Amino acid sequence: MDIMSAFIRRPATASVLSLIGVLLFYFIFGGVDLEKLGGAASWLNYAARIGIVAIPVGLLMISGEIDISIGAMIPAGAMATAIISGYYGLPIIFGILGALGIGVIVGLINGVLAVRTTVPTLIITLGTLIAMQGIVLAGSVILTGNASVPLSAPDWAKTLFGQLIFGGSHQVVIIWWLAFTLLGWFILHQSRFGNWIFAMGGDKVSARNAGIPVDRFTILLFVLTATSASFVGMCHAILFNSAQVSGGMNDIFNIIASVVVGGVLLSGGFGSVPGIFIGTITFAIVNKGIDFTDIDRNWSSLIIGVMLLAAVLMNNRFRNMALNYVPRKKDKGGSAK
Amino acid sequence: MSLGAIAIRPETASVVGLVVVYIFFAAFGGAAFIGAPGWSSWLNIAAEVGIIALPVGLLMISGEFDISVGSIVPAASMTAAIISGHYDWPAYVGILGGLGVGALVGYVNGFLVTRTAIPSLIVTIGTMFVVMGLTLGLAVLIKGSTSVSYVPDPITKSLLGHFINGMFNVSIIWWIAFAVAFYYFLHISPMGNWVFAIGGDRETARNAGIPTRQLTVGLYILSGLAAAFVGIAQLMTYQSAQVAGGQAFIFNSIMCVVIGGVLLTGGAGSVIGIVLGTMTFAVVNQGIFFSGLDSNIGSIIIGALLLAAVLSNDGFRALALRYATKKK
Amino acid sequence: MEDFHMKKLSRIAASVSVAAIAACVSTAVMAANIFVVGGKPDDPFWSRVKMGAEDAGKVAEAQGGSVTWLGPQNYDNLGPDAAELIRQAIDQGADAIVGPDWVPEAMDPAFKAVVDAGIPLVIYNAGGIEAADKLGALNYVGAVDYKSGFAGGEYLGKAGHQNGACVNTLPGAANIEAFCSGFNDGLESTGGKGSVLQLPATAYGNATAVAQAVRAHLLQNPDIDAMFAIGGGDTNATVSGIAQAGKSGQVFVCGMNFDDSILDNIQQGTQACAVDQQGYQQGFFAVSILNNYVNYGVTIPTREILTGPGVVDSSNVELVIEGVKAGAR
Repeated sequence: MDIMSAFIRRPATASVLSLIGVLLFYFIFGGVDLEKLGGAASWLNYAARIGIVAIPVGLLMISGEIDISIGAMIPAGAMATAIISGYYGLPIIFGILGALGIGVIVGLINGVLAVRTTVPTLIITLGTLIAMQGIVLAGSVILTGNASVPLSAPDWAKTLFGQLIFGGSHQVVIIWWLAFTLLGWFILHQSRFGNWIFAMGGDKVSARNAGIPVDRFTILLFVLTATSASFVGMCHAILFNSAQVSGGMNDIFNIIASVVVGGVLLSGGFGSVPGIFIGTITFAIVNKGIDFTDIDRNWSSLIIGVMLLAAVLMNNRFRNMALNYVPRKKDKGGSAK
Repeated sequence: MSLGAIAIRPETASVVGLVVVYIFFAAFGGAAFIGAPGWSSWLNIAAEVGIIALPVGLLMISGEFDISVGSIVPAASMTAAIISGHYDWPAYVGILGGLGVGALVGYVNGFLVTRTAIPSLIVTIGTMFVVMGLTLGLAVLIKGSTSVSYVPDPITKSLLGHFINGMFNVSIIWWIAFAVAFYYFLHISPMGNWVFAIGGDRETARNAGIPTRQLTVGLYILSGLAAAFVGIAQLMTYQSAQVAGGQAFIFNSIMCVVIGGVLLTGGAGSVIGIVLGTMTFAVVNQGIFFSGLDSNIGSIIIGALLLAAVLSNDGFRALALRYATKKK
Repeated sequence: MEDFHMKKLSRIAASVSVAAIAACVSTAVMAANIFVVGGKPDDPFWSRVKMGAEDAGKVAEAQGGSVTWLGPQNYDNLGPDAAELIRQAIDQGADAIVGPDWVPEAMDPAFKAVVDAGIPLVIYNAGGIEAADKLGALNYVGAVDYKSGFAGGEYLGKAGHQNGACVNTLPGAANIEAFCSGFNDGLESTGGKGSVLQLPATAYGNATAVAQAVRAHLLQNPDIDAMFAIGGGDTNATVSGIAQAGKSGQVFVCGMNFDDSILDNIQQGTQACAVDQQGYQQGFFAVSILNNYVNYGVTIPTREILTGPGVVDSSNVELVIEGVKAGAR
């Protein structure tokens, strides 16, 4: 019973249950071959693509902010790499640095505006989202005369960022995703920075009074989200030898949904990296796993929506249980883990 | 009204923004943009997004979001097309069916937002996915296709899909009517203050006896209905309904509202501001095609406008606070 | 192949009753699991292709095989997403794969992996026979995008409308750019000239945004008398934009593909022609060819099976409407 209640108190619980629920649903109604699904790369590759961004976005949401400019940053990173190293033929290292540099710049703009103004970050990043969409589209057309740019990367860059591993269809990006997850886990759950993030999400003013450098840390988190998005774009450009402009609107909803299914509270102060990790896997399996079932793909959006609502309702219930349970045990840290 | 009082009105920044943007594009766009063709061009765009922006703006004043409008537009359009086009029922049945879909989704949104502690952003992302999936799946099941055509009778066409003078879409008049109704609702009727009160502080509002729950559900039904209305008007105008599309309305409506001076934190904003913000948005969106500039530069301008609106909001608020303290 | 039969047989033998074995053995020899990679399911054109593939799949199913449709959720990340789907088809144990070569840089490595794995491949919809030859595919089924655009340009140019603009709502998609450059070259072949009207990506799927952009463009460029748009939705919106600019009867439109409302337009004379890729046939032929090849070793000697461009205009629109009613187009 004690194990049970300890399990229910964790932010990752609902995402684990969602994952089991989705698999059961696909198994019972879709006749899915779990062995085949487990060995397949498609959902893992997809999970890695959104997961690398979902980890920092999750940390940012726990600290009480949100970043939707990530949608434009994935194609921005890809285009920067392809334009610099593909169109202009500069060494790939400049393309990589260019992509990451754009991430840092946009992240800084978001972060500085977030701490200098009283405007909600959803609106600030909506502004940078739209502006970046325009800059990427117009920039690529003006610079290259084309909205799709080819790129051929040297072997070392392919090995690091854009290779298929395990002799099959798994992308090396999966390793990066695991590394990001470990790093995120260490920051949030093992270092003192984690407590800062929870404190900021709980109450900014008291966090500041407690001596936490709230402003600098917020800016840092925004730089991390934008840069991780441009990193994903850069990896994709190297793997797929090309980059295309796009709006990226869908990635925004997909990434936020993964984080929220993972048990992160949108208003901040609650969540965990294992939760985000499992939430991302759940979302990826819902999205890509449907191809392994007999269910017509036409229904995939419906399943995503129902799963999302069910997961957040569960999260809600468990969070209340967790918050009510904690004071009795006098374990203040419990709510944060 | 003194100069200070004008400066602190929330609409002032929106008016300035609109004038600056209009002059900019008038300089580039020439006679065609300044004349009736130009006006009708951006007004047609403004009317559609404007009808949705009004209730979305009210929701934002009360501190909530509605992302699902992006999926209600094609869902309502498809419902009306299937009822009246595929099954050949009279147009009003199709229209009622489409509006019913909007109202139902709005009610579900409102119910989930008020009965659970889930943020409205997440609730409406969830319902957006659900409605998208249902629209696609059911359209393919019923019609076997993702596009359905429908030729409305002349009366329906003239009410919902007609071009006055061959250029001004009749939805501009609907937009004006909606704006007047919403102006009355927010600024004249007692319920308007309730909306502001909820946005300011929900707990206090509830304690003051305001039926916060019913009001929030009502606002969601309104935004569902408005989105459905736009979907139906598109069907009557273009005589064809598509499953895809409509997603652009999600962020476009929020942008109009923000450019119009409504803060996401809730508790502030005005219907006139929303209308002005919508006009600004539409002038940029259409002006770009008259200007001969690359059309994507429009996105950069809108992004910059949004940030400028955001910053000036802060500036105006500071000014207003200083003005208020000085008066004391 | 031998190995494949054995595996199939042993799996069936282990799992079903004796009576069922007798029934299945005769069909197990010919059971092709065919995977078709295509557009997103809510795209009107691709829903026709999907229907064609599934109709051909009924034969495959009757023989114990299957047809599985894989499509991206959206077109934001077209090349990589499609490449992923091709690899996914390999992972799912496809016996044969059908796929379009939309973005060669991103997708060709995945197609090569299909051929390297010894899986029969047919390229369809985009890429042409050149792509099929380069990748080692059996055949190419489809219209050639460039030729389709060219047919539209030539049709309008020959009718005397020689100053054209092509509406592109998906900047960056290689096939849309091929349509547009084909259209412009088609106009030039008759002595005209063409241009491209680029819309911002936010206009995609929004009829009003497309109509108003077309209208503004026509008002700024009063010389234009021919337009081309890709897909039923955009074409319909273009027709409306022309009417709103007061240019009905002065600006003539052709569009790629058709749906019910496009046929209405042609009947009523508001649209000059529709260039048909005949998507249903693309899906149907590609799946049929592979099913016969895998099951019976039947090869189709005709290389490059062109399903288009077919031009629908007022002269044959009635026939097309009959075909639509019968569900064959």
